[in-house]
Amino acid sequence: MSNVIELKNVIKEFKVLNRHEGLKGSIKDLFSRDYKTVRAVDGISMTIEQGEIVGYLGPNGAGKSTTIKMMTGVLEPTSGGITVGGVVPCRSRTKLAQEIGVVFGQRSQLWWALPLIESFRLLKDIYQIPDAEYDEMLRFYQSLVDIEPLLHKPVRQMSLGQRTLSDILAAFLHNPKIVFLDEPTIGLDVSMKAKIRTLIHALNQEKHTTVILTTHDMGDVDALCRRIVIIDKGKMLYDNDIEHLKGFFGSYRTLKIRPEEALSQAAEAIAKELPDFRVSADEEWISILVDEEKQKVLDVLGQLQHTHVIRDMQLEEISTEEVIKKIYEEGVQ
Amino acid sequence: MKRGLGFYLRIYARILVQDIKSKMSYRADFIISTLGMICTNIAGFVSFWIVFQNFPSVDGWSYYEMLFLYGFSLVSLTPVQCLFDNNWSLRMYVYSGDFIKYCFRPINLFFYYQSEVFDIKGLGQLAFGIGTLVYAWAKLGLPVTALMIVKMIVFLITASLIMIALQNAAAATCFWIQNSFYVLDFVFRFKDYAKYPITIFSPVFRFIFTFLMPIAFIAYYPSLVILHPDEVPLLSWLSPVVGLVFFFLSYKIWMYGAMKYSGTGS
Repeated sequence: MSNVIELKNVIKEFKVLNRHEGLKGSIKDLFSRDYKTVRAVDGISMTIEQGEIVGYLGPNGAGKSTTIKMMTGVLEPTSGGITVGGVVPCRSRTKLAQEIGVVFGQRSQLWWALPLIESFRLLKDIYQIPDAEYDEMLRFYQSLVDIEPLLHKPVRQMSLGQRTLSDILAAFLHNPKIVFLDEPTIGLDVSMKAKIRTLIHALNQEKHTTVILTTHDMGDVDALCRRIVIIDKGKMLYDNDIEHLKGFFGSYRTLKIRPEEALSQAAEAIAKELPDFRVSADEEWISILVDEEKQKVLDVLGQLQHTHVIRDMQLEEISTEEVIKKIYEEGVQ
Repeated sequence: MKRGLGFYLRIYARILVQDIKSKMSYRADFIISTLGMICTNIAGFVSFWIVFQNFPSVDGWSYYEMLFLYGFSLVSLTPVQCLFDNNWSLRMYVYSGDFIKYCFRPINLFFYYQSEVFDIKGLGQLAFGIGTLVYAWAKLGLPVTALMIVKMIVFLITASLIMIALQNAAAATCFWIQNSFYVLDFVFRFKDYAKYPITIFSPVFRFIFTFLMPIAFIAYYPSLVILHPDEVPLLSWLSPVVGLVFFFLSYKIWMYGAMKYSGTGS
């Protein structure tokens, strides 16, 4: 196995003007040279092997997009070394483009007015894909999803789901070494999400393509990634197998209940009854974080039903956001 | 894996065919915009004609000479209209962050961006301009020789580069400033002065239109080569060079801005 992506202590800093408030402040800003430096990415190192699917996670503003932009050559790192597919991205952006595919969730890269098949033919010319490989790829696509109805439809007329699907197919068309997928399932319905996950998985298996996936959807991660990397505030928090992470957090579930009596009173009472659990309340629900290794959710619910009249309940798997929050608060490893 | 001129021409032809096909599919839109372009051209010509009903000549230029100049400017302003119209949308792509989609293709970024739009309306202007040129040519009794025609084509093509260059540079300002529309609009308005002999302007404007905002090279200087072959000023012979140099500079500015572009947050 060879490394296709290597990041060594990568740092990216942005200069940001210190803005002042109000109209007076804006006028001051016009002439101000008062810059502060913000570190968007702070010393990230990792190596990714050919054929891996890596989930790249982190809350909004963690530095994910900045890292992706550096890996694709759009941004130049302030310091540190990056090689992708054997080249330094920002120095050989056009050359690297032949080796990678990029999909940005909501931004289609296809020709808006053209039917999908025409976009494919253009991409075939642009990437100089040999006829045989192109035909084989289309046959392979056909075996994975029913693309026939999409092929003759202009991209502009497609639903978001169809467009995302088309964009992903287009990104894999020239059989790149690496594909970057930035929130590919955002805004899609459940069945489309499942379709897209199956597609990505199959392409990775068949073509041995490396996939870097950023997402906020734990479902994507569960379905696709063996390895995840989590960053927050530009720093690497976690880089390991997903199993390892689940060992820590997989047994947590959030039980949400809506009792008959006033929420705040009930929350206080429940907090007293269950001193070992974290209990919190918002306008609608009381949330109880349950560690299933210690006590089953149903037992907790049963216990609560003795003392409270429960009108409604929900059970939530722990979300990516919560995992990250917990990692950030408590650390792993 | 070499991508030479042939490669780019093939890609361009393919995009062009597809683009025209899809534009034709909006029949009403296509017909209305074509009619609109024809009306614009006729209106432009009528105002030109009315001026000449009142003045027999402009600064020693006869009606047919002026008509020649007018036709020359129409033809040399066609390429910017047809091939580089996407420059008008650049600021929107840059502002919204959508410009990033152009950054991941293994072909020239400037080419890829401009190739996306072909404005078919410009062809009406081209036909109108050629008609005017041929008519003025015949009325002026200019000789029709192979050399004249070659000269004409070379000077037309290089003259068309001027407006393209001005527009590229103006559009590229959006990589640095938020509202570049005014810059683009401002520059684009200057093209209206291209159809007059530069000698009618004051020395200050003559200097500006020759060296700073070189619109005198769109029609005036290059037409002198055809119209007054006996007394061609040096600047006329230089006009192909000026066209090429300005185009190259504007391309460099555009690419510099585009390569610096890093998108918006997502």
